[in-house]
Amino acid sequence: MKSTYLTKEEEHIYDGEFGWAKQVCMKILVKLGELFDASRLIPIESAHVSGVSYKTLGEAPTDFLEALANAGEKVNVEATLNPQSLDPKYLAVRLPKHLIEMQLKLCKIFERLGFEGSFTCTPYYIKKPRKGAHLAWAESSAVVYANSVLGAWTNREGGPSALAAAIIGKTPDCGIHRAVNRKPKVIAEVRSSLENDVDYGALGIFLGKILEDKIPLIKGLKNPSMEHLKQLGAALASAGMVNMFHYKDEVKTEERLEKIVVEPKDIKETVGELTTVPTQKPDLVFVGCPHCSLHEIKEIANTIGNRKVRDKIEFWICTSRLVKEKAKAYVHKIEASGAKILTDTCAVVTWTDKLGIKTIMTNSAKTAHYAPTLNKVETILAPLRECLKTALKE
Amino acid sequence: MAKCIILHGRGIVEGYCKAQALVSTKPISFLGDVDSETGIIIEKKHDLYGISIKDKVLCFPHGHGSTVGSYVLYSLAKKGLAPKAIINHKADPVIVVGAVIANIPMIEKIDISKIDTGDMVEVDAYKGIVKVLKTEEG
Repeated sequence: MKSTYLTKEEEHIYDGEFGWAKQVCMKILVKLGELFDASRLIPIESAHVSGVSYKTLGEAPTDFLEALANAGEKVNVEATLNPQSLDPKYLAVRLPKHLIEMQLKLCKIFERLGFEGSFTCTPYYIKKPRKGAHLAWAESSAVVYANSVLGAWTNREGGPSALAAAIIGKTPDCGIHRAVNRKPKVIAEVRSSLENDVDYGALGIFLGKILEDKIPLIKGLKNPSMEHLKQLGAALASAGMVNMFHYKDEVKTEERLEKIVVEPKDIKETVGELTTVPTQKPDLVFVGCPHCSLHEIKEIANTIGNRKVRDKIEFWICTSRLVKEKAKAYVHKIEASGAKILTDTCAVVTWTDKLGIKTIMTNSAKTAHYAPTLNKVETILAPLRECLKTALKE
Repeated sequence: MAKCIILHGRGIVEGYCKAQALVSTKPISFLGDVDSETGIIIEKKHDLYGISIKDKVLCFPHGHGSTVGSYVLYSLAKKGLAPKAIINHKADPVIVVGAVIANIPMIEKIDISKIDTGDMVEVDAYKGIVKVLKTEEG
């Protein structure tokens, strides 16, 4: 029994009149809609699909994606992809050949399905979604950023549901596609002055662990930059279920809400927990989780000056192809130092073990949260200027 | 003498089958817990460790873990290694999507503690009904 209202055309797709591939995608949307009490499907302006890195997923998605591609199916809206497990310039020549082949096979299938080869976790730097636009995005950090900073509306999709939405061009109108569900459910009062990217990330991890799925109104942030909010959102999503936050003073709350107070010691302890080794000697300094903005690349280029990367340390700056292209003027300066600007990938979704990397220093709380498990490495969480200091000769 | 228990739930993916139950008290993450080449549970901490889910009516509380787990169910089905039906206490998006793309009958809101591994089970996912045929012991 379908409880979600479908138009005549949607009904025909559901019944298989447009073939198996469209039918199965429509069924995914309708069944998920039923699960979350949707009343209908709504058009989306873009989809962003996760599940692209062969390192993270292995062959799991290949069979199904190939079946869709073989059925001649294509995406129906602007559709971008999350990072894959290698970049074309640096890692493609260092990793085992069979892994590269498997990754390229998966990328090829996505290309046949009509996806842009964007390979980034920051699709909003490629095309900024309109305020109020409905989207179907997977990649939790981008979901939180789109909802909280850009004012677009998207649930936190999984890889398969974002894929189905990309092909149908619609999504169920449940969750935070409804205004009533976007209101703050709890107030988080920050009594700590947040100094840098790491403090914002730590706030995200701290709150993510206690909020469950309750949307917070975060009070007490003092002129956060877009990049600070990006770190906050990425960390919030990686440590918990939340898919948006409010942070502007003018946000009205109707009822008396539960209040969480964040003290300076909470931030300090969280930063401490995200560093797993006492040493300050990483094999890799990694900046670009989530992928760097043009502004961040410019800042890094200016700070590097004429300095060179230290011996026995790798310095990766990860971003999208498009941002690297836009940052041409800075790329040369950065790469002349011995630092590498990697596109399409990041340290978490590639095989750092096969590159001999055992300790990663990063300014990203999200990476520090995931890498001990996903990469089996030690982590050092440090602000960007500390990362640069460690990576570069005096 | 056989005893028959009828359980009512909510049908999620339509279908009908009759097969032996395989019951777990733990959530399953299809990405990681199940070997997609053999259909055997490979997570050592799982109570079904070492057991194949092929052709069983797989009963477990709910799914967890990566959404990519849905794709694993598809691959299992393509290789003939998938369960015949899925019975959950609570449906979650990963298992729902997996059952849809793999076309595996699925019912939720069933008290799976009433079902034991080895029971013959009739699943009518059109109506959301599970018939459990118990063989009286000793």
